Amino acid sequence: MTRVVEVPASFDDRSFEQFAAAFGAWPPEEKILIDARGAQWSSPFGLLAMLTAGQALAEAKRERPLFTVPTSDEVKRYWARTGFFTYAAELFELHGKVPKAAAAGPSDVLLDVTPVRATEDVHEVVEKISQGASRILHGELGLEMKATLRFSMALSEACQNIVEHAGTSGWVAVQAYTFRRRLGRRVVVIAVSDAGIGFRRSLESTHAKRFGERWGDGAALEAALIQGVSRFRDPGRGQGLAFIKRFLDQWKGKISIRSGTARLAIVPPWDEDLPLAEHLPFFPGAQVQITIPAQDAEAR
Amino acid sequence: MIQTIHIGRLLRETVSSPYRNLVTRPTGAAIRNRIQEALAESDCLTALLDFSDIELLDFSCADEVVAKLLLADEPCAGRYVVLQGLREDQHEAIEHVLTHHRLAIAAVGADEDHAEPRLLGWVTPDARAAFACVCTQGALTARDVAALLDWMVGRAEVALTALAGHRLLRAEHDRYLPLPIT
Repeated sequence: MTRVVEVPASFDDRSFEQFAAAFGAWPPEEKILIDARGAQWSSPFGLLAMLTAGQALAEAKRERPLFTVPTSDEVKRYWARTGFFTYAAELFELHGKVPKAAAAGPSDVLLDVTPVRATEDVHEVVEKISQGASRILHGELGLEMKATLRFSMALSEACQNIVEHAGTSGWVAVQAYTFRRRLGRRVVVIAVSDAGIGFRRSLESTHAKRFGERWGDGAALEAALIQGVSRFRDPGRGQGLAFIKRFLDQWKGKISIRSGTARLAIVPPWDEDLPLAEHLPFFPGAQVQITIPAQDAEAR
Repeated sequence: MIQTIHIGRLLRETVSSPYRNLVTRPTGAAIRNRIQEALAESDCLTALLDFSDIELLDFSCADEVVAKLLLADEPCAGRYVVLQGLREDQHEAIEHVLTHHRLAIAAVGADEDHAEPRLLGWVTPDARAAFACVCTQGALTARDVAALLDWMVGRAEVALTALAGHRLLRAEHDRYLPLPIT
């Protein structure tokens, strides 16, 4: 039996729930086919979700999943340009013609899909992003120059969460695009995803007792993002997410973290997302999305 | 005597790469170990940790390099440690992690910048005022500081003793001196 997991036509953090639900109980017993033929667009969050699913299936020692590539040439080219297919080919049996990645030049992709496996990868990510971030953040989004460095700090801290807490590797991608539906402005989006143990298991041994019966994926996310706790007893830990929150507050940005069956967001005034959603379909690891919008003329 | 420890050089030697970004905890811990080795081998009174070659300093690294250096059992091998050449965002990262631990350190500008040292991190408002007073006026007793700030002498003594205890001022007999950084 093969279970078909359809990729939403427009794949972002909202339509992700439809994608996650399609796997059923995790890990699925059946062979998985991820069907992206109808995909018209994907945010970096969506691209990383597909890779994370592939990685989690491999780590659960399930049969190598199938992946049918988008029918749209434009979508295929863009996904190739982000580096998605390079890693997808390692995790899936690809069906359909995949274009070669176009030569890199100035584009909306600030950071290709990049694996984060170790500390050295975080150095590499920060080094790469510093080259294009100022053009987009200052030039297009109207953020102050110093925001570029803070953006890189936020990216570094988000990637380090994988190395420090996930127990396996993960992925990061950064892209600028126009957020028509919810905001009507340009945004820069950082997506970070891993197929690891998730926030609940990471924090369970040190913090579950304090929460008693409330303990679960949602409580673990609250503990990490709102209370700044960490599984380490070192009192200096847990400051990375606190900094990201402060940085985003300044730029009216948004962070959402999905882990296991819950999703927690710090919601800015321009968005209508729920702060906390629980009892969602299970998805392995943790998925972080950070969105920084173009500053309006008054803020500039 | 003053020893300058170039953090950019330590970074290049530690991660064997041309990167100028001081990021991640393992990198920070490695740099802190190198600083502690350098301090242990030195007989200088003051060590200037020079960040002027560093591009980005993230919170995790600021915590590992600066906060944990001050939290060590034998903080800074008895030296006065001052940060030099920090940019605004680096100030912010260090300020944040030190405040979190209720620690403080002095920072000065680049070599050519002769501005007074500033305190980064957490100290009481009284200690901050007393620090600024000594830095601008030079060696002062608690009585001098009290007179300058219109305080009771006991209040000045508490502030100055705390600063000397955290090696943010130098105590000599009944006088308090600015850090020996020139």
